Amino acid sequence: MFYTIIEQVVNGIVSGSVYAIVAVGMTMIFGVLRAINFAHGEYYMLGTFGAWVAIDYFDLPYPVAIVIGVVATAVIAVVVGNFVMQRIVGAPAEAGVLATLGVALILQNTVILVFGGGYKFFSGGYIEPVTLFGFTLAEQRILIIIIGLIVFVGLELMVTYSRMGKAMRAVSQNIECCAVVGIDVRHVALWTFILGAALAGLSGVLTAPVNVSVYGGMGELITFKTLPIIIMGGLGNVRGTFVAAMILGIAESLVATYVGLQFRDTVGFATLMLVLMWRPHGLFSAQARF
Amino acid sequence: MTSAERTVATTGRDLRVPFGLALIVLACVAPLFLGNYPLHAIIIALIFLLPAHGLNLLLGYTGLLSLAQAAFFGIGAYTSALLAVNFGTPFYLNFLAAGLVTGAIAAPLGIPALRLRATSFVMCTLGFVIIGQAIAKNWISLTRGDMGLSAIPKPYFALGPASFTVSGTVGFYYLVLAIAAVATVAVYLIVRSPAGRNMIAIRENETLAESVGIPTWHYKLVVFMISAAFAGLGGSLYAHYLTVVSPLTFQMYYSTTMLIIVLGGGAGTISGVVFGSLLFVGLTETLRVAPELRMIAYGFFLLGLVFWFPNGFAPLIGRFWSFLEKRK
Repeated sequence: MFYTIIEQVVNGIVSGSVYAIVAVGMTMIFGVLRAINFAHGEYYMLGTFGAWVAIDYFDLPYPVAIVIGVVATAVIAVVVGNFVMQRIVGAPAEAGVLATLGVALILQNTVILVFGGGYKFFSGGYIEPVTLFGFTLAEQRILIIIIGLIVFVGLELMVTYSRMGKAMRAVSQNIECCAVVGIDVRHVALWTFILGAALAGLSGVLTAPVNVSVYGGMGELITFKTLPIIIMGGLGNVRGTFVAAMILGIAESLVATYVGLQFRDTVGFATLMLVLMWRPHGLFSAQARF
Repeated sequence: MTSAERTVATTGRDLRVPFGLALIVLACVAPLFLGNYPLHAIIIALIFLLPAHGLNLLLGYTGLLSLAQAAFFGIGAYTSALLAVNFGTPFYLNFLAAGLVTGAIAAPLGIPALRLRATSFVMCTLGFVIIGQAIAKNWISLTRGDMGLSAIPKPYFALGPASFTVSGTVGFYYLVLAIAAVATVAVYLIVRSPAGRNMIAIRENETLAESVGIPTWHYKLVVFMISAAFAGLGGSLYAHYLTVVSPLTFQMYYSTTMLIIVLGGGAGTISGVVFGSLLFVGLTETLRVAPELRMIAYGFFLLGLVFWFPNGFAPLIGRFWSFLEKRK
């Protein structure tokens, strides 16, 4: 009994790490662009598809596929960022919602059009199970947790010490003053967006061996799970989002085991609704950006 | 001649009333020359016009962006379906019940939701749709879960001994046309009333509106409920037309469609929303054969709306209308 709970918690930490990598990107994009990126899940999907194409069509090994998946996502993010996301800076809130919804529709359906709507099988990845402290886990899951931590620590370091990181913080705090001190806001917005999308793609590539099935509509579910996470974590608040993602991952895992699998995907929004009713400003301070 | 007389002499007649009458006549005789499939597209467009009107009241006139219309659409559909399937009640009862139930449910949902800031409010309304779908899927004793409710009887009206069943596409077309017309007139009356002006005041500057004594909180809640009721009525029609409801009736795609209708047609205008509904839903029904292309077109259209046509088609309609008025 105790063992099962720990096992579910560990599984929860794995999915929490997946959500964290995606959500952290989304919350940074919000912090800088003030736009909820409804298309964020699609970049997760693109990363997965990029890797899948690399493995299935070109027979490349998995590590190379990871790189290709992330690069493919980043390239598409550059296009979207230049034509769409940069123009959202300074636009009213609805603009971001609608524009990213539009991008999501385009990306998702183009992929379905090109590759077909069926489920595809993702072969590749380190799915060999490994036994640690009496738990048996696929190696890939451990890799996910490790990369999740690396991403988080890396982002913290970047945001605190690097020039671009400081610029991101500045833009998320006060856009008008950035122009005064000479920060190119659109440039920062573009690169924040590319980073966020690339992280989502990375998450997709890493999770693909665990999920095994790949299909064009998989991004939408991720978007719907990430939205509650970033709201509960505090929009623009990277640490809060990381914690919220972990909590959601563990909660989903426990609900799936003890309440019922069919409720797993609703945990995110159900929790969000309860939190919003109780604390309209989110669980963590929205003031603590980045 | 003075220049004033010359200006009057060269202006044509005011063509707005004849044009309007022509449209009404056209709408009434449409089934005579349109096949079943175009009629079906128009029926769907008119069904979606109701929740679109509701969203227009909420977004276009009061300034609240909500994605919840699909949730209330679904609630209305299921209400009507459950009444019709379990009790065999006549259509007008199902219809009214859908509106009332949805409006009533909107109150406890709206009260906490409207306290949220704009972004969180949008998320919350999206949450209503998702939770609605989850409830429809899992409350199997009521909704039969994924199997949904089927064989919903065609709408029938019973007055004492006389009863009348609407059957066939043409019959349904007239039913929906009548209801949509009444709904449009209702929205027009709301918008032209002092209440409508207060709503616009809230949209433009809520703090200022409050300071001149408009009870903004009450207005927002009531508009939220009315908007939900409109969506519920639309859902009822949808249920009776398709004769099937399932958890898929609660999908974000419907909320997105209604948003496109309102924003693409012209938020804050009535003719814009009517035009938008006919245009978008009519087009998408016609493009059913290529669903991915249709969605991609939707996506590009959304982008175009945001960056180039923030007021949708409304300015074009406005220009056409003043062209008819002055014939210049």
